[in-house]
Amino acid sequence: MKRLLFLVLCVAIAGALWATGTTEEDDGPMTIKFWTHEDPNRTEIEERYIREFEAANPDVTIERVTNSSAKVPELLLTAFAANEGPHIFNTQIEDGYAYIANARVAPVDARAAGYANDSALIDAYVPGVLDPVSAGGDVYGLPLELTNWAIYLNKRVFRDAGLDPEVDYPRTWEEVVEVSEAIAIRDGQILTRRGFDFRYPYFLVSMIPMVEQLGGQLISDDGKTAIVGDEAWLEFLTYMQQWGPNGMNLGSPTYTNARKTFNQDNNDIAMAMSGLYQAGRIRSDNAEFYSSGDWMVIPYPQFENAVNEVASAYYGHYYMVNIQVPEREQEMAWKFVGYMLSHPEEYLDRVGLVQPTNALMASNTFLSTPYAEVFAQDMELGNIVYYAEDSARMQELVKEAVEAVMLSGESPEKALASLKVKAQELLDQQ
Amino acid sequence: MHGGIERKLARWGIAFVMPAVAFFTLFSFYPIVSAFITSLTNRKILSLLRPDFVGFKNYGYLLGSPDFWNSIRATAVFTLGTFIPLLIFSLVIAFFITGMKRGQRSIQLAYYSPAILSSVVAAVIWLSMLDPRGLANQFLNALLGTHGIDHRWLASSTMVQLSTMLVYFWKYIGYFVIIFITGLASIPPGVYEAATIDGANRWQSFGRITLPLLRPTIAFVSIMSMLQCLKTFSTQYLFTQSGAPGAPINVITLNIYNTGIRDHLIGRASAMSIILFVIMLGFTAVQLRVSGGEKVSY
Repeated sequence: MKRLLFLVLCVAIAGALWATGTTEEDDGPMTIKFWTHEDPNRTEIEERYIREFEAANPDVTIERVTNSSAKVPELLLTAFAANEGPHIFNTQIEDGYAYIANARVAPVDARAAGYANDSALIDAYVPGVLDPVSAGGDVYGLPLELTNWAIYLNKRVFRDAGLDPEVDYPRTWEEVVEVSEAIAIRDGQILTRRGFDFRYPYFLVSMIPMVEQLGGQLISDDGKTAIVGDEAWLEFLTYMQQWGPNGMNLGSPTYTNARKTFNQDNNDIAMAMSGLYQAGRIRSDNAEFYSSGDWMVIPYPQFENAVNEVASAYYGHYYMVNIQVPEREQEMAWKFVGYMLSHPEEYLDRVGLVQPTNALMASNTFLSTPYAEVFAQDMELGNIVYYAEDSARMQELVKEAVEAVMLSGESPEKALASLKVKAQELLDQQ
Repeated sequence: MHGGIERKLARWGIAFVMPAVAFFTLFSFYPIVSAFITSLTNRKILSLLRPDFVGFKNYGYLLGSPDFWNSIRATAVFTLGTFIPLLIFSLVIAFFITGMKRGQRSIQLAYYSPAILSSVVAAVIWLSMLDPRGLANQFLNALLGTHGIDHRWLASSTMVQLSTMLVYFWKYIGYFVIIFITGLASIPPGVYEAATIDGANRWQSFGRITLPLLRPTIAFVSIMSMLQCLKTFSTQYLFTQSGAPGAPINVITLNIYNTGIRDHLIGRASAMSIILFVIMLGFTAVQLRVSGGEKVSY
């Protein structure tokens, strides 16, 4: 009897504790958890925004947690799988779209974000940039940045190789090969200086446009067929095969990331692909190189036989708000997002991020940013990156095909055949 | 009266065992059952909708998937290529260390030190060495008297498999050496003394005394090292994140991670983890049977 009584008591206490823990408070202090990726330049200004926001809203504490951009998608997924996602997060649209598709994020609260209504919010942005986060008449995210990539060029390395950077910079992919061959220094088979190298993990942003230039597509216009245009794909895969260690040995995914090593100006890379934000990172990493005038930005190259003029795809990092947190906290989260995004010129000036509002694009700050016109012109030639619930898997399949021809010695024909089957299977599963 | 004392002792025994049983139930048994139930559904990691029951459809899909069979191949190659050298070399090294008159402790410490590093740190250290401009190429070129040869430690399909084996071997050899040294120390010295008096040389002692009496330790090490190899993940994960081709080293655990986290298909990933669990259980049972279990007599 005593034992039974003890058990009942334990169950009652546990139940009471559980009930207390899940009670939602209607007022009182609140903590907003904000997960984002590392960027020292952004951290500096956003921590100041947090201090200002907390001073204006004394009951609110913002907890800003940063991780590497590669780690964020995985951490978010694990947290959301356990229904413990943060209030605010941002991730690339290729990863973020799944949260909209699975109804895990709340529609933007336009009034809380500082707009008169939903129409005013939509009108504030460049047409089309909110499309990837719109569904069923609602908008589910606000852009922290809309980014496309061009090529950063180190003039010193060009001159060291006997090239004139202003004249000899590559306009076509064929010229990228020629220039890279002229710049490359090898110790036997080992590259000690590369002319250019790709950003290998980001195949959808940096490489699919090469296929599109040649007339191919990742997905057909009607959305039913994957890997369209065999000739274009074969030409692209052959180009990558020739680029790698089994071909002309101009670069490889196993060398240090070209974008990271570019900032060091160590005479080991001449060109790397990146966004407008790279200038701010050069300034942080190597102020002497930044102010030397020895770097410039050139447009995304085209193939000589291109049938479409296409530049790098652009992608967005969108702020989203977890729908599973209480409505009062959702509203406060949007209010804070709105406050951060009310400083687009500072984001551009200090961090190099473009928040695509009509006001910013027409501002002097944007027009006077070094090389902003290169990115702006390329963006007009680019498409939004492929985004779907399974875009990460689609990217992996393209990666497999490129690695197969570059590293594993597989023929482009065989790699393409395998890619077509797998990509179509993936598309059919949707 | 006697039965009362036994019952009382048994009660204490149960009390002491209960925390371990509860721990196992909560953190091992429950997840296994939960994974099995999930494997029978089409659950997606982000979906809030109730998943549909699909029976053994996930298992059927996996058994017909070339990608899954490639993972089985990659896991088998890695396990055989790592656990057999681990077993043989750790035993041989332990035997030599035991026979050393001086410096035993220092050697043990040197061998064991990689085991205390996290797998991620170990993989990062090796990544810098296996870089085309890293120490691995320089060392091998110096050893072979060649110049500027890129051995493609991370780039070629064959070499990247060898590289993952190398990292694992380096990391775990010391751990198993220590276990073998403990096993060797438990063999009574009198047995060796008797054999020496009878005229046995060192190799005869090793073959006729050490190996048979070390059978429980060999069984333990072979099971542990094989299970470790089957569960390998972080080395392959970090290598693929750093540009190494995925297919040659896409071991089952990496495939489970990618299917569950990257592709969001947690039902299918659970099915894969159940298959891996059954494989591990089967191999353990076979090894226990082959090695004769724990039985040894002096």
